Amino acid sequence: MRQTIRALGWIIAILWITTLLLPVTVAFSLMKLLEAKNIGIQETTISFSNGNFSLHMPFYINNTGFYDLSDIDINIQISRKNKTISSSSVHLPNVSAGTKADSSFNFSVSLEELVLKDSELLTNDTELDVNASLSLRVAYAIAFGTSVEFTTFWRAPFHNLTIYNLTYNMTHVTFSVSFDNHISNQISGPLKVELYNSTNALIGNATQNVHILPQESFQTSFAIKIADPTTMTHNGVIRIYFVGAQILEEEWTNFHE
Amino acid sequence: MSENETKPAFRKLFRRIAKATLMTVVAGIFWLVLWLLISSFLANFPEYLTRFAVLAWALLFFIFTIKVSEGTIYKHILIIARAFFLIVYVAYTTNYGVLTVKIEDFTFTVEFIPLLALMITINLLAMARGLLQAIEFTSQSPKD
Repeated sequence: MRQTIRALGWIIAILWITTLLLPVTVAFSLMKLLEAKNIGIQETTISFSNGNFSLHMPFYINNTGFYDLSDIDINIQISRKNKTISSSSVHLPNVSAGTKADSSFNFSVSLEELVLKDSELLTNDTELDVNASLSLRVAYAIAFGTSVEFTTFWRAPFHNLTIYNLTYNMTHVTFSVSFDNHISNQISGPLKVELYNSTNALIGNATQNVHILPQESFQTSFAIKIADPTTMTHNGVIRIYFVGAQILEEEWTNFHE
Repeated sequence: MSENETKPAFRKLFRRIAKATLMTVVAGIFWLVLWLLISSFLANFPEYLTRFAVLAWALLFFIFTIKVSEGTIYKHILIIARAFFLIVYVAYTTNYGVLTVKIEDFTFTVEFIPLLALMITINLLAMARGLLQAIEFTSQSPKD
């Protein structure tokens, strides 16, 4: 029995030393990892083409610590008024000690999706809520997780989209459309306008190809030919589409006949 | 019992208490240094400092009582009780191995369930060892 007690004593001592040393060495390993430029984000590219917003954010983890990193998960969720607009997750396989891993975040959202989630994003600059979280396991034993919430400013591609100077003369409806391109990319594509009467029947449409440089204001006039003047009513709806996605719906009324 | 027999018994007890006090003071200094080291990190989290203080005081209590009860069955009972206390207290105060700190919009989480499992295993082994020591003690000293 005495031998068993002695053996147990040794086992307990060794296990206590291991248990107490592990967090200390893990902390040192993390401190080495958090040293300058061991985790970083490379040049981020944002593009807007064919009605799709895309964000490409490459990043790297250079594991200079003593232990392997595993279960690395990075999540970014963008929301407005508690409604998720877009989210992206990256899961990295093990990053062994002394190795470097490269990966990237890719966000992509189409105009249609944006309209469905929050149509105001297309026509109004606003603040978006961002929730970013990172979790990883060091030495396959201790997991760390951080999450941060912050707001970012969203610049609308069709900021202050307005329809004005609407007139009607039996055969044509004319009006002007203006907006400001607040995004950092050129907006190119077909801008289509559809005119509906009070019974929601299409009475005319027109399309213009637009090319608006970043941070530029845009203004144009539309003259929609009414194919059948009998379908004309005193009120209705104007719908504006860009690359097939509806970006504005506004009621019209009280024409100058 | 004559006065001549009581005097050495009292002296023995006094010596044992003095020894236990000395050991408790040494351990107390160690915990105090540790307290000073971590208190600057945990200054904004008083609840963690309280948990640390309770752990330190409880372990100091066990050091003193185990040392005072040297040579009796109570020593082994206290060793088992200490291991049991550590299992329950560490599991409870660490939220079963998941600690979360929230500072405004920033949240930090540490999950060390494997490490906690190891600590529980160690204390279970300590309880088993204490039990074996108690059995051995009773088999050797029938007077107790």
